[in-house]
Amino acid sequence: MRLNEDPVALEAFYRRHVDDVMRFVVRRVSDPHVAADLTSDIFMAVLDSAHTYVPGRGSEVAWLYGIARNVVSGHHRRSVLEAQANSRVVGRRLMDDDDLVRMEERIDAERRLRDARQVMADLPEGERAVLELVAIDQLTVTEAASALGIRKVTARVRLHRARRALEKVASSAATYMGAEA
Amino acid sequence: MNTSFEERLIKAVMDEHARRTAEGAAVVPGPVRHSRTRRIATRAAVVSGAAATTVALMLIGGGTTSAYAVNKSADGSVRVTINEFRDAAELEAELAGVGIAAEIDYLPVPQTCQPYRGERADTGGQMKVGTREDGKGIEFEIGKGQIGKGETLVLAISVDPADLTKPPAATAMQIVRGPVAPCEATALPFPSGGPAGESKRDGGSGPTTDIQRRDQHGETRSQQD
Repeated sequence: MRLNEDPVALEAFYRRHVDDVMRFVVRRVSDPHVAADLTSDIFMAVLDSAHTYVPGRGSEVAWLYGIARNVVSGHHRRSVLEAQANSRVVGRRLMDDDDLVRMEERIDAERRLRDARQVMADLPEGERAVLELVAIDQLTVTEAASALGIRKVTARVRLHRARRALEKVASSAATYMGAEA
Repeated sequence: MNTSFEERLIKAVMDEHARRTAEGAAVVPGPVRHSRTRRIATRAAVVSGAAATTVALMLIGGGTTSAYAVNKSADGSVRVTINEFRDAAELEAELAGVGIAAEIDYLPVPQTCQPYRGERADTGGQMKVGTREDGKGIEFEIGKGQIGKGETLVLAISVDPADLTKPPAATAMQIVRGPVAPCEATALPFPSGGPAGESKRDGGSGPTTDIQRRDQHGETRSQQD
C-alpha cells in the first residue's frame, strides 16, 4: 500500500521523521520562522509525492531527504511571500512562543554544521549535494545516491572529488587566515 | 495553544491529506493543484464514482472504518453514527455511496470553519444530531430527499484532539446548494443568549449537541432540535 492510501502509515511516517526533518532544515537556515515554513512545506511535498512511496520498500530516509532537498533549494529561489501564497499550510502560523524558543534552540545546536555547509558553498552543485547529505545529514552513500536520483558509483566519485576539493579549500583558507593574523 | 508546533503540523498534514483523498487527488498521481474549480469538478467525480470508492474502502478498511457507520433504512433515510472523529474523507466517500454528497471537517477546539460555505439550500424538515447512548461520538439521521441533487451536507465538527471519541464541543451543520467553499479554520463563535446553552434529551438517546445553522438572514445562530 502506498503512503497516500494509509492515513495511519502517513502519521507514523511523520512522527518517525519530524525531528530529522527539522534538524535537516535548521542545518540550512537560521531563521526560526523560515525553518517552520520549510518544515511544513516539506511535509506538504511529502503529500504531493506520497503516491510514489511504498512504506518498507527502499530507504524512506533517502526518499524523504530527496524531497526535503528540493523544497529547501526551491525556497532559496522563491520569496517568502510567493511561497506562502502557494502553500495551504504555512508553518510559521502554527508556531507559538514556546515553539519559537525551541526552534531557536535547534538552530543554535546546529550552528557548527551550518558553518560547515558554508565551506562547501563553492563546490560544484553535484558534488556539494552528495557531500552535504553524507557529511551534514549522515546519510550513507547509497541513501544519498537514492535521494539525489543518481547511481551509487556516481555518488561515490562525486563524494571523493568533493572531499579532495575541500581539503584544498581548507588549506588555502588556513593559509589566508594565517596571513591575516 | 496547548500543543506543540509538531502536533499542529501533523494535524494540518492529516487534514490536508483527508481533503486531497476526498478530492481524489491522492489517488491520481501527478501534481496537486489547489484551484477551486478543480475542487468542484473532482467533487462531482467522487460522488459519481461512489460505488467504486466504497468497495475500495471496504478492502482497505479493516480497523479504519469503525470510526463511523452509515446505514440506509428501507424508507430511504440514512442514519449516520460517528464513533470517532477521524477519517472524515472516508466518511464522505461512504455517504457518497448512499447518494449523499458531504463535506466534513473535523477541527480541534476552539476552531470551526468559516460560517459561509455556499448558497444555503432550503430544506424541509429538521435534522437531529444527538450524542450516542454510550456518550461517545454523535449520530444523526438524514431523511429521504432531504439533501437533494446538487446539494451537499456540510459539517464542521469541533472536537477535542486529545480524545476523538468525545462528543464534539460544537457541530455546525448546513446544506449547501451548488459549490461548497473549502473550510477555512476560524475561531469558534460562542452562542450568545437564547435557549442554546441548555441541555436537552433527544428521544432518550443522550443529550443533544448544539447545532449551528445559518438562517435566512445569513447569521450564524445556535439552536437545538
